[in-house]
Amino acid sequence: MSHGRLSNDRGGLRGIVRGGSGGESPVISPRTLRNLRSELSRSLLAKFGIAILAVILFTAVFAPLLAPHDPTDQNLDNANVPPLGFTATENQTTSETVDGEVQIVEEEVVVNTTAEHPLGTDSLGRDVLSRTMFGARTSLLVGLFGTAIAVVLGVTVGITAGYYGGRVDDALMRFADVMLAFPSLVLAIALIGLWGQASLRIPDPLVAFGIASAEMPEDIVLPGTVIVVVALVNWVWFARVARGEALSVRDQEYVKAARSMGGSDLHVILRHVLPNSLTPILVLATIQIAAIILLESSLSFLGFSGAQLSWGFDIAQGRQYLSSSWWIATVPGLAIVAAVVGINLIGDWLRDALDPGIEGQGGAP
Amino acid sequence: MTDPLVTVDGLEKYYYENDTLLDRLTGAEPEAVRAVDGVSFDVREGETLGVVGESGCGKSTLAETLMRLREPTGGSVTFDGDPVFELSGGDMDAFRRRAQVMFQDPFSSLDPRMTAGEIITEPLAIHDVGTAAERRERAETLLEEVGLSADQIDRYPHEFSGGQRQRIGFARALAIDPEFVVLDEPVSALDVSVQAQVLNLLADMQAERDLTYLFIAHDLSVVRHISDRVAVMYLGEIVEIGPTEEIFEDPQHPYTKALLESVPRADTDERDRVVETIRGDVPSPRDPPSGCSFRTRCPELIQPPWLDAPQAAFREISEFRTRIENGDIDVDTRWERVGDPDREDRAAFVDALREEAFDEDLPDNDEETVREAIRALADGDREAAAATLRERYRSPCEAIDPALPAGNHPDACLRNEQPADVEAAREEWEADHDAPEVGASSR
Repeated sequence: MSHGRLSNDRGGLRGIVRGGSGGESPVISPRTLRNLRSELSRSLLAKFGIAILAVILFTAVFAPLLAPHDPTDQNLDNANVPPLGFTATENQTTSETVDGEVQIVEEEVVVNTTAEHPLGTDSLGRDVLSRTMFGARTSLLVGLFGTAIAVVLGVTVGITAGYYGGRVDDALMRFADVMLAFPSLVLAIALIGLWGQASLRIPDPLVAFGIASAEMPEDIVLPGTVIVVVALVNWVWFARVARGEALSVRDQEYVKAARSMGGSDLHVILRHVLPNSLTPILVLATIQIAAIILLESSLSFLGFSGAQLSWGFDIAQGRQYLSSSWWIATVPGLAIVAAVVGINLIGDWLRDALDPGIEGQGGAP
Repeated sequence: MTDPLVTVDGLEKYYYENDTLLDRLTGAEPEAVRAVDGVSFDVREGETLGVVGESGCGKSTLAETLMRLREPTGGSVTFDGDPVFELSGGDMDAFRRRAQVMFQDPFSSLDPRMTAGEIITEPLAIHDVGTAAERRERAETLLEEVGLSADQIDRYPHEFSGGQRQRIGFARALAIDPEFVVLDEPVSALDVSVQAQVLNLLADMQAERDLTYLFIAHDLSVVRHISDRVAVMYLGEIVEIGPTEEIFEDPQHPYTKALLESVPRADTDERDRVVETIRGDVPSPRDPPSGCSFRTRCPELIQPPWLDAPQAAFREISEFRTRIENGDIDVDTRWERVGDPDREDRAAFVDALREEAFDEDLPDNDEETVREAIRALADGDREAAAATLRERYRSPCEAIDPALPAGNHPDACLRNEQPADVEAAREEWEADHDAPEVGASSR
């Protein structure tokens, strides 16, 4: 599963690179694949990271089939139910009429767990497990699309700056520095404030084709503004890395050779500079996915993303019940931790396996 | 055979280093690094012109500027009648097809992410020659021609040895049927045994395809093996150019002589030969010497007309003078060594430094002048010391920049035949400077 995912990713990158040049070889060489495999077999943490991400990904894709309840279904009679294996008490105020007098009785009642809600319910009686499963969709969508846009933007700017150098480089990189000067969360909030919270609703194929229960939400919400905003906040990192790579690749003799054959700048960039700069960009991308998931959660927590089904949003919802119903905020919180740790472990694995010190030096396989 | 295919005329490539924003704001004069400083030569059709010189003399910059991989700061290059630096569009495309480069580094000259086949067909793809299948076929043929096997076409560069990589680089240069190939140190990074194989391959291909080579190297024996003519470069300039055998058997320029002299030869007679190396380092091209650029290291530095000292003594004095002028002699440590904290025993200081700096016996007059200069130095007057020596030992080589005359085997040395304007400048210089009296400037 995880391997399949990765090679899909690679196919995507290859598509970008192939766009203008039309060669036949993969961007990632057989030797790199060997490195990836041997590093994976050596590293327990890498396997762990892949396993975590595989679970989250699987959950996100098949959420309508896996989730026990409609995540938006409210039931006030069943509110604040604790997860299985825990008990909780609740102060209940009841009024009774005793001998013609109204008496107000305050009593502490025990809220029972039910197998129907294995991870409990929130203050409106919505199933925490189902909400966390559907929340994975928002996080991964924002993480993947946001990173993809940031990569395209950052790599374009960075490679242009690094390859041409001089004033082009000065201008682009000073602009990037200005972007870096803003705290990312503040910048993101400002941009959302400027553009509003547009989102795109895509019919969920699992529901539309009747594979999953019709009770499940029929749309996948793609938070458009948030995706664009997190990309705009994070592209700078890609620009800086891509620029550095382009600067060093630019002086390689094969670039000189391509130019001496009459290769245009576009040819040299697409055929040589970009493929040879991709490794650290790929590593950075994995780490940035984690950072963007965190940023999305922060925005949702603060209520700026407009998402109603998101880990960050649920944490914000559960915050006020933290003392009595801790699970409402804790479960999505743990989901964020798991996703970020898993993705970072994968990033470490890629970094170790694709070490540029090994790449391009020839010799040892 | 005798028509020039490539004519290089006064080619210059200066780099300006002090060109940061701050420098521009403060109006600082940009400092020029003269990597290639006015180079002229022809490459005749079908020949191999070798270019030799020490590292850092501008050989590779010359090659890259000539191929217009770097924009020149002056001069022109004509390729088969076309001015290379003014070409654009289709004409430039044609030049890029007819002239190719093969690079030095077997590791960085091939893209590690491309297969041998993709590398070799890259020029064909760029110029849109043939279909993909035809290109692949061509790559297979070329692989066989350069001594590899066609079934290695899908291998990556790291699967080849250094020599094999250079063969691939050469196959790439040949792919589009060029007429002119610049070989930028193609064998410098290879083992000696592999060097010979690659050189033979280059020679065979040249004969087979009527190629014209510009062959750049720092190894004299390699250049001698492959070149018809040789140009010797020093500090961005060509100091001597001529037919290979003449350069090696009858070198004219002191630099060429010193370069040939410094090569150890495989010969039993050689065992006890003291290899006379060239003294000192190559001066920085940022601040090249005035006049002849080789004068700071030249064993044949020309004496002024009034002087008739032994050449070895003159050379030592000149070097001593350079050290004083550059402030390389630390007077304080010398005084400490003399062991006279009050700095009163000038005679001891003079004797000590005289012995330290000179191996040769000096003629009486020169001995006196040198001691006078050291006395000034002992008093801490570096300027006066330098002036004393400069007065008597100035060489025409410092003032006159020799030029490379026309001809079959010219060299740029004032000792040899020079163009009329250089000769005239030298006569004028000699008329302007008279012999100083010994001791005239002493107090």
